[in-house]
Amino acid sequence: CGFAPVYGPGGAGRTLQGQVAVPAPETRLGYHFTRRLEARLGRAEAPRYRLEAPLTVEREGLGTTADGRTTRYQLLGRADWRLRPAAPGAEPVAEGRVRGFTGYSSTGSPLAARAAERDAEERLATLLADRLVERLLMSDLGAAAP
Amino acid sequence: QETGTAFGDGGADPDAPVEIDADRLSVDQESGVAVFSGSVRIVQDTMRLGAARVRVIYTPGGDRIERLEATGGVTLVSGEDAAEAERADYEVEAGRIRMSGEVLLTRGETIVAAERMDIELETGRAELSGRVRTVLQPGGDE
Amino acid sequence: QPQDAAAAPAILVADTIYLEGETRLIAEGGVEVVQGARRLEAARVTYDASAERVAIEGPLRLTDGDGAAVLIAEAAALDLDLRDGLIRSARLVLDRQLQLAAARIDRRAGRYTVLTDTAVTSCQVCARGRAPLWQIRARRVLHDEAARQLYFDGAQLRVFDVPVLYLPRLRLPDPTNRRARGFLVPEVRSTTQIGAGLRLPYFIPLGPHRDLTVAPLLSPETRTLFFRYRQAMRRGDLMLRGALSSDDLRPDRLRGYLFADGEVALGRGYRLTFGLKTTSDELYLAEYGVTDTDRLQSEVAISRVRRTGVDTARLAYYQSLRAGEANATLPSLVLDAARERRVALPRIGGDLRLFADLHAHRRASDRDGVGRDMARLSAGALWTRAWTGAAGLRFGLTAGLRADGFRVRQDSAAAPRAAVVTPAARATLRWPLLRRRAGGARHLLEPVAMVAWSGGSRPDVPNEASTTPELDTANLLALSRFPSADRQERGWRAAGGLRWRRVAPEGPDVGLTLGRVWRREAEDAFSATSGLDGRRSDWLLAGELDLAHGLDIAARGIIGPQFDVPRAEARARWRTERLDLSATYLLLEKDAAEGRDDSLSEWGLDGRYRLTRHWTGSAGYRYDLAQDSAARADLDLVYTNECVAVRLSASRTFASSVTLEGSTDFGLTVALKGFSTGDSAKEDRRRCN
Repeated sequence: CGFAPVYGPGGAGRTLQGQVAVPAPETRLGYHFTRRLEARLGRAEAPRYRLEAPLTVEREGLGTTADGRTTRYQLLGRADWRLRPAAPGAEPVAEGRVRGFTGYSSTGSPLAARAAERDAEERLATLLADRLVERLLMSDLGAAAP
Repeated sequence: QETGTAFGDGGADPDAPVEIDADRLSVDQESGVAVFSGSVRIVQDTMRLGAARVRVIYTPGGDRIERLEATGGVTLVSGEDAAEAERADYEVEAGRIRMSGEVLLTRGETIVAAERMDIELETGRAELSGRVRTVLQPGGDE
Repeated sequence: QPQDAAAAPAILVADTIYLEGETRLIAEGGVEVVQGARRLEAARVTYDASAERVAIEGPLRLTDGDGAAVLIAEAAALDLDLRDGLIRSARLVLDRQLQLAAARIDRRAGRYTVLTDTAVTSCQVCARGRAPLWQIRARRVLHDEAARQLYFDGAQLRVFDVPVLYLPRLRLPDPTNRRARGFLVPEVRSTTQIGAGLRLPYFIPLGPHRDLTVAPLLSPETRTLFFRYRQAMRRGDLMLRGALSSDDLRPDRLRGYLFADGEVALGRGYRLTFGLKTTSDELYLAEYGVTDTDRLQSEVAISRVRRTGVDTARLAYYQSLRAGEANATLPSLVLDAARERRVALPRIGGDLRLFADLHAHRRASDRDGVGRDMARLSAGALWTRAWTGAAGLRFGLTAGLRADGFRVRQDSAAAPRAAVVTPAARATLRWPLLRRRAGGARHLLEPVAMVAWSGGSRPDVPNEASTTPELDTANLLALSRFPSADRQERGWRAAGGLRWRRVAPEGPDVGLTLGRVWRREAEDAFSATSGLDGRRSDWLLAGELDLAHGLDIAARGIIGPQFDVPRAEARARWRTERLDLSATYLLLEKDAAEGRDDSLSEWGLDGRYRLTRHWTGSAGYRYDLAQDSAARADLDLVYTNECVAVRLSASRTFASSVTLEGSTDFGLTVALKGFSTGDSAKEDRRRCN
């Protein structure tokens, strides 16, 4: 039916596995993003590619109740990514933008709201990383000669 | 409101005698035109003209010089002022010199470049034209 | 003219030059004088070295480096450096924005420009004689180039040539002056609680790195002074914001608030951040429109983030502003400290994650139960590794062990001490398949599955922080979906999902995810509307659609056994060249365990539309279908052209947890552009038709 395994022979999965250097994080959310990317793409010893993916996150309050309390927040994440060969100054071979949002409720105590916010940050990092890996696996990169 | 005196400091007297010396001289009989060539030097009072070739056209009576045509890189010096050009036409009677072609006039610190320059020897007025360029020296200390 | 290079020689070009005497030079016909970056064009220039004067006959035009007109005049008599002297019927242009037309301009000492009978405006003046939108006429204007200030004598503000305001003396910073002391744009504001008032901010720079802005609010109901102090340091920055009021709402006492925010780099990658907030009484912040939050959170935190790990330590203090919520039963003081390290294991491969964290919180009240204080210490390790198997199958294996110790005080319902050791293991499977269609479209199909087991039994500890868990695509295969360590997923559980995605060079980029969690025994700590309760979770369904021309939609929801939807959230964003519209929909069923007593079904709309080149309208609206009432509406109308920016804003909150009867705010600001107070006048220039 025309579907070929991505991690099968000649698939993008094998070309990228352990070959992508992931950016160093600056924020806690960036750390979870990097951790997830390295878990999915493998930690690169001698990477053939370099990934640049600056993250931007906005928080929006929703769920305003009758007495005006904000009971729901959404973290809107975006990463404009570029994949370059490891050689310095090389032109990107693939680029794009991944977007995603995660939500959390702030109706519990401040402790619950705080824990929910940190959990939502980690989920957003995982979501964006998974979407980025997915997009890489679907790119024509796989066919590029190793 | 002409101020200042003639071109150069003393002002050349257009009626002073004109001395010309050069390496060669040839004269065309019927037109009565003399052609000096080879580092020609012309002196009149305080003004000196140097050129590669000068044609001297005399008045019909043949007794006075009516016009000088200097070509082949002309230099004109008078007091502090000096001018260069490709060609110069000096109408002795009218006391006017027209220099043309890459004219470069230096007067004190002012340097002016132009395509043509007309000088009235008596008033010293110089008129340069044709995309004239000069550098205005700034005032004193500021 | 701005200070030019120190008396550089000027190159003059003209059609004709007359030399008279030793010192006079007259240039005529297309005269151009180029001095450094400045160029002067004129009809006739007389340069007299002995008199040290340059007489220029117009029309005269002086332009700066990149060709913008700086001065246009009829005639001028300047010194040899073309800087000082007298200019007749001139129009001076500052920083390409502000035009000063004057009958006469005197330039002195290369720094002062005195303009007499002046009209100053930054508005586009098209046809001769038609009055600009606004102008300031003055008998005399002094422009001090070094101090970058404009001093007006006998200034009269005219709008469409109608005198509106007369000021004997007026000082305004010139457009190149970025940090000028002086009044900023005033704002007219009226709120339900404190009525109408004029807010007049005054900016005081204290050197290049610090500044103070004080803004008195003049209103019949209140005498208030807002202030903001900012300081930029080499290793960080600090901002203090606050206000002091004596008003008729609470005449018996002085009211106000103070917020301090800052960040300092401590070296070796450590960063200190702090945000301290305090206010005199619960209603102040909402009544004065500072913020409508219902809890004040102050915190001090030190953190370091590196590729191999994260260290954070944080102390937080909470103060409730909610009507009827006593502070004593609110966890007021909270301490969190956590460290995580990641290590790659050489021989057996995979990633080892080591973590330890401490949490403690205290409630002021000592009453049993509601005054509970609690502390937790946790530590553990988690090893994960992934392989590629036959036929492109991706296997993942995780093994971990963690220990949690709890200490609870003032809650007889819970054990004073508890501890639990939790071994955990997980196997995950991914099988991503890709199909390429003609025309470059690509389809991905990725079945995913996981099986996990955790040991240990739940300690008898209150659920303080894991009361609002979520199920979404990111934690479908997670080991524990509880947000905090006071609850863990235990026993046998499995999860399965299917991901589908279509990507094409043109045409929509579409994605869909389906997932579910199965459990041998229900985890009763999961709230009903989280979808994770019971032995079979609700179906998780999530999708995203990204159309080419600026429209993208994303949604996620959980679907119960009877096709009920306890939770759903959707976002849509449509951006075109003139429109920026974002819509949100949120559905949260009532769930006491999550602290939500009423269902919520809220539509949110936020749009900004550029009506014309100069008019931009934006609106925001929140409507709760479940309560059948609007929650918030605001409207903003902005007119901006090259010389004025007018902003009209109205916002209505229908009820606030603090003031309980909602409030309507109106705001109007009119900013004259071209001085450094308003924004730059270079954009939005009107065209002369």
